[in-house]
Amino acid sequence: MASSCYITFPTIFYAIRAESILKDQPYSFKMVPVPRSISSSCGTALRCRCEEINSIKDYLLQSNLELEGFYRLEEEGLKTPTVTPLSLNERGVSEQ
Amino acid sequence: MSEKLNLYFDNAATSWPKPEAVYHAPETQMREASGNPGRSGHTRTLESDRLLYKTRETLGRLFNIGDLSRVIFAYNATDALNIALKGFLVKGDHVLYTAMEHNSVLRPLGSLRRGGLIDTTMIPCSEAGYADLDYLETAYRPNTTLLVVNHASNVTGTIAPLPEIIKSAHNRKVKVLVDAAQTAGAIPIDVQNEAIDMLAFTGHKGLLGPTGTGGLYVSPDIDLKPLREGGTGSQSESDVHPESMPERLEAGTLNSTGLAGLLEGVNFILEQGVEHIRQREEELRGYLWNNLRSISGITLYGPETSPGRTVAVVSFTIDGADCGEVGYILESSYGILCRTGLHCAPLAHQTIGTHPEGTVRLSPGFFTTKKDIDFLVQALVEIVQLASS
Repeated sequence: MASSCYITFPTIFYAIRAESILKDQPYSFKMVPVPRSISSSCGTALRCRCEEINSIKDYLLQSNLELEGFYRLEEEGLKTPTVTPLSLNERGVSEQ
Repeated sequence: MSEKLNLYFDNAATSWPKPEAVYHAPETQMREASGNPGRSGHTRTLESDRLLYKTRETLGRLFNIGDLSRVIFAYNATDALNIALKGFLVKGDHVLYTAMEHNSVLRPLGSLRRGGLIDTTMIPCSEAGYADLDYLETAYRPNTTLLVVNHASNVTGTIAPLPEIIKSAHNRKVKVLVDAAQTAGAIPIDVQNEAIDMLAFTGHKGLLGPTGTGGLYVSPDIDLKPLREGGTGSQSESDVHPESMPERLEAGTLNSTGLAGLLEGVNFILEQGVEHIRQREEELRGYLWNNLRSISGITLYGPETSPGRTVAVVSFTIDGADCGEVGYILESSYGILCRTGLHCAPLAHQTIGTHPEGTVRLSPGFFTTKKDIDFLVQALVEIVQLASS
């Protein structure tokens, strides 16, 4: 079982803006269709390593980006992943 | 003069030729990107999304726009002006506009006025096309919310004194909508430093892109209600159109094919430098104006060419000749393409004294040469002789 983290966006504008802002930064991420198990306003999400989600979130918020949600998914092949919504609090992005 | 060329002097209607990349980019976009932007999340969709973002970013650079979510795509300046006017105005508002406005402003305002929604006041202009700033100071009312100004006239090439107009409006807490149909790409525009509240532009004139492209800049302190609602690819479960910009003002599939061309047009402008383009077009206008002035029998309209006060548009009439006939002879005998008539700006023609007959309008562009102008001038000398014989 592998775990990945996702950031969702209110609209595609912010998703692509996030990609554009992060492309020269040393993060490992990919723009992907939002998994069906996540609810999102926009169909494209940013998938990243869970160790980096806080740092990526900070970087994007500093650039005045509108972000919608944060999730951790335990993925195993094509099975429906286990979704853990993460919340933004004083410790950064973490489990609710 | 029997040689028949195809000389294009109608850049104020739509620019031609385009930079080479503008022709190729739409084809590449259709063949290789082509996904519906914002919709499906697959790689072709993402390529289209990136193209749209890049286009906003590049327009943002051209106009010095800070927040790119405030750059809205539209189909042309008319579309952008409709989005701005009908999204901004509410019942009871009073709107100021100048006598140089195009029908793209006059007709939506007229329709809102006839519908009992708003009241309007026209700011008269001098024969050279400059707004009467003293009159403007007397025209504000307590319910004045918006001033619409044609940045440069498509009839005379007159550039409006934007700093003075914006200062006056902002002193009264009135927002300013700038119609940049004739200026975007032709003269420097800086929405932040010039404090422009809304800027409507088209893609197919000075920006050198394809028809069906254009846009609207909306400053962050203005919230427009959407003219169109529908699919955006976001919040699809809700029947409420999204609040988030730019989608709030962009319903339905965007013209990504055309915008691929627009991006290349704007890239060309940034490579050349707007200031360089402005100087080149001013030089061409000055050369054309001075040559036409020396022909007895030709009457010129609008201001003399001067730095920062005119774009490359020249209107004239020939004594004793119908302007439609002059245009017809220019094309049929000399292969010169121009526009004749009222140019969709009836009040401007009333202002310069050419209503309802209109004028012959010549609008050189960045790619026009002095040799082209020499040929045109010789043709007009011959037509003037014909008219006086």
